[in-house]
Parts: sequence; C-alpha cells; structure tokens
Amino acid sequence: MLPLRELRRRPSRFVVATVVLSFLATLLLFLGGLLDGLYIGSTGAIRAQRGDVIVFSNGSRDSFLRSRITGDVRASVEAAEGVDAVGGLGFVLLGAQVPGETELADVTVAGYELPPKGVPEPPADNEGVADSRLQDQGVSEGDTILVGPAESPITVVGFVDDTSFLQQGAVWVNLPTWRAVQNANRPDSAVADDVVQTLVVKGSGSGGRSLSDVIDDATADATSTLTVDDAVLALPGVEQQGQTFDQIIYSTFVVVLAVVGLFFSLLTIERIGLYGVLKAIGASTPRLFAGVVMQAVIVATISFVIGSLLAVAAAIALPAKVPLQLIPSRFIFTFAGLLLAAVLGSAISLRRVTRVDPASAIGNAS
Amino acid sequence: MSVLDMRDVRKVYRSGDAEVVALAHATLQVEQGEIVALLGPSGSGKTTLLSIAGGLLAATEGSVVVGGQDISGYNAKQLTQFRRENVGFVFQSVNLVPFLTAEENLLVVDELGGGKGGKAAKGRAGQLLDELGLGQRLRNLPAQLSGGERQRVAIGRALFNNPQLVLFDEPTSALDSKIGAQVMELIQTEMKARNTAAIIVTHDTRMTEYADRTVRIVDGRLEADRVSN
Repeated sequence: MLPLRELRRRPSRFVVATVVLSFLATLLLFLGGLLDGLYIGSTGAIRAQRGDVIVFSNGSRDSFLRSRITGDVRASVEAAEGVDAVGGLGFVLLGAQVPGETELADVTVAGYELPPKGVPEPPADNEGVADSRLQDQGVSEGDTILVGPAESPITVVGFVDDTSFLQQGAVWVNLPTWRAVQNANRPDSAVADDVVQTLVVKGSGSGGRSLSDVIDDATADATSTLTVDDAVLALPGVEQQGQTFDQIIYSTFVVVLAVVGLFFSLLTIERIGLYGVLKAIGASTPRLFAGVVMQAVIVATISFVIGSLLAVAAAIALPAKVPLQLIPSRFIFTFAGLLLAAVLGSAISLRRVTRVDPASAIGNAS
Repeated sequence: MSVLDMRDVRKVYRSGDAEVVALAHATLQVEQGEIVALLGPSGSGKTTLLSIAGGLLAATEGSVVVGGQDISGYNAKQLTQFRRENVGFVFQSVNLVPFLTAEENLLVVDELGGGKGGKAAKGRAGQLLDELGLGQRLRNLPAQLSGGERQRVAIGRALFNNPQLVLFDEPTSALDSKIGAQVMELIQTEMKARNTAAIIVTHDTRMTEYADRTVRIVDGRLEADRVSN
C-alpha cells in the first residue's frame, strides 16, 4: 500500500502535522475532561435519583435550595393519579471539620427518603453515607465530621460514588438529620418538620398526561415539576458551562479540520508530479484520493493516541481539586471528531488530485 | 495487425479565439516487435503524438487503435484502465516513486491493477530486475541508484504488465552519452526479446540507430519514414 509505505518510510514528512494534531487532541480531551468533571461534580446527586420527576415549589425557579414543599402540598402530590412513590429531598451546602485535617471539607448534607443509585436506605440519625470524593479531603469511614458553624456531628458509615452536588461531595442522611443540620446552621432558612425542599416522585402519569402535568394540576400549580434530566439542567451554571465548553470544543475541531486540510493540501501540491506519473501508469483518481484520506486518518489516529496519553498524564499530574474527569465516552467522542475532521480536511485535496493531468507526466507537449 | 494504428489524428489546443495545431492529420502504424524512433525538435508535437498513442491525451480528430482496441472514444476512466493494462511508459525524468524500493516500484503496477504484490508478482519483479542487471539492487531506494540504474528500473516498471506497446519519452536525455547508449541497447534487447512494439521519442539522432524505423515530426506533421540501418 503506497500511502502506508510513505508513512513508514518518510515519517518526518508527517511529524509536524502529527505534533500539532496531538496537541489539539490533548486540548480537546482536556477541555472535554474539564466539562465532564464540572458536569459530574455538579450533578451527580441529582443524576443518581431513581425517580421519574422532581417536584419544586412554584416560585422557586426550579432551585433545589430555594424550593420548599410543605406537608399539604406533599399530600396532594401523593394523592395524584399515577403517582407510585414519593420521597422528600433536601440539600444544604456547608463546610465540615474532618478529624486530623486542618482544611474544611466542602460537603453537601443531603436528606433523602427514596435511596438514590448506590445509596442504601436512610441511615440512623446523625449518620451519613458520604460521596467518595470526600475521601480526597481526608474523610474515612467511621469519622465523625462536624458540619457547619454549629458543628453538627455526622458519623460516616460508608461511601458511594458519583453523588456530588454543586462540586461538593454529598453526605446522605435521613430527613430529620438534614432538617436538624439545616436549622442549626442556616437558621435564616429553617424548615418545619413536615417541610422538604423537593420531592422525588416515581410514577407514570395518567390519562395520556405526563406525570409532571398530573402533579402540577393536583397541587393547583403550587409546584413546578421537572423530569430528572431537566432538573439536572436547571442546576445553576450547568447548561451555561456545557454550552460554553461545547463552543470551545467545536471551535477546536474546526482548527483540527483546518490543520489537516492545509497540511494535506500542501502535501498534495508537493506530490502533483508523482500523482501525474501514477495516473499515467493507471492509478485512478479515487485510488489516489483514498490514499490521502487514509494517511489523514492514520495521522489523526496516531495523534489521538499521543494526545490521550498526554491528557491522562495531565490528569494524573494535576491536583485533585481540578475537576478534570476523563471518561470513555469523551475519548470516543474526541476520536470520532478527529476522524471526521481528518476525512473532511483531506477532502479539500480532492479537487487538486482530480485536476492532476496524467499527460503532465510526459512533460510539456512538444 | 499493427499494435498501434493511428489514422488522420489531429490535436488542436484552443488559446482564446486562436487554435494551436499540435498534431496535424498524423497517420502512423507500429507493428509487433517494431521499434520506432520519433525524431523532432522541441515543440514539434512528438510528445503530443506519444501521449495520444498512450491514451494520456484524447485526439481532437482521427482514430487511435492500440492492440485492437479503438481508444478514440474512451472516457477518462476507460483510458486509465487501458493504460494500466496495455501500455508501458518510460518518462524523460525518471519518475520512480522515491520512497519505494526498486522491486516495489515494479509492484506498484500490480497494486494499481488490484493485485496484492503476492509471490507471483514479486517473482516477476525480481526476474525483470535481474534481466535488467539489477538483481542485487531489489531493495535499494531510487536515491541509492545511479541515473542509469533508475532508468532501468523504470523500464522494468514499463514491462511489468507485458504491455503490447511501450512508449519512451526521451529516455536518455538525463543520462550521459555512455550510459545513454547502454540504456538504448538494453531497450532494444528487451523489446526484441519480448516482441514488444515501442516508440522512442528523441531529439538525438544518435539514438535512432537503435530503432527499426525513424519517423520525423515537424510542426505537428509526420514526415517520410526512414528505415534505420
């Protein structure tokens, strides 16, 4: 195969493009990793919910921290048709003193009734199941952490993965413990015994209407009910972060396309004489063009491998507080994007390859 | 039957409103095993004639039959296949693929024809290069070969597919006269041994002694044939 032999025998010709594309691949993975880290760190506690919808109080603008669901409203939700299970949910973001640590750990005390994915049934009072990211802040099983200015004690009885809330590891407690912590540390926004912030609801809707509509009708619009996915997007900054990073990432893919296009255009110009000879001895335009595309794809693949190694090295070298998370789907997305950019970029050379005249091999007509 | 039968072939280039006649009603037949030297000054139309005979250019008028195939009406795709299967080319500047060894430069022809460069193809490439005196140079890249050796590899490439017609475009112009004479002797020997027809474009009258016949071309017109000694 001519294109492969050229890559093998003349690797120096492809070094510049490979180096540039490797750095771009690293940048793409780094940016994507930051986006994923921010997304995962902000939304884990909500994504872990097993309900179908989350019920906010009307007027809370779908904010978990502002929302308040009273006992009366909860009763209306529970009585709605198509509702199978209802659980209260509440969050309070605080600092926590960890035994043996001088720095405060950032925690979200999360009160719940319906266990999220990976979280057991609600523990006893003043006990909690902690998100595993709190281990990076020195929390160990059996530790009693003192939460907030009121130093509310919570004993960690286990760990669970991927349940952060707004970049703070959750400590999952029963609702009475959450209320106690909330009221002791946030007296300005204390909650009564029958109040929760939101409700997690399992159900199927009724009479062709969605579960959200059924619930909001049942509470006479005292609630604003969102699917879990929409509730994730309603978290502060999540959608904006996603859009911003996506724009940067897609712009970087455009740069990749331009680099591939420019590089292989220049290479094609250099090869016009050779292409003329090959066409003269019977090479077709599709065959020559396929060779260009093959080389672009191979260069992009090698660059992706190098870029991945650099990104992994960066992830290892960076401090844990940098929210960089390299997940398999990000690698797949980046690789697919690089391949697409390589194919499209190399396609810019198609016109030049097509226009090579086999008669040019034999010199100017004389 | 002639291997090449060109009849009343014209090639006209348009430059604005003007017409430039590169080839004017050229008629030429080349028989199997015959070597024809096409002699003419620069700009006389000899390369145009060679290009049309080899299916690199389409004639404006006239018929071109090679090996019994009338290629006059072939489209670009048909001409590509025709060239791949029926004609060998040796170009003025050697034009080997620079990153392929001598053997691989021959195997390119097999690859372009859909082959995988298997044992049979490698055997043929080795045999050809051996016959051309390059048996020890199979693994050498073009940059590691002398000018004469490179031209011999190009001859091997032209002969790889057993073409009926081989077209040489000033094959010795880049070589000194001694090496050029050796290459011409080799061409003569190889063509005769294979009974393959050849047209050799040259402006060097010394090279005509290796041809069976010399055809002169001036201003796009073929002049009377002369049988070489």
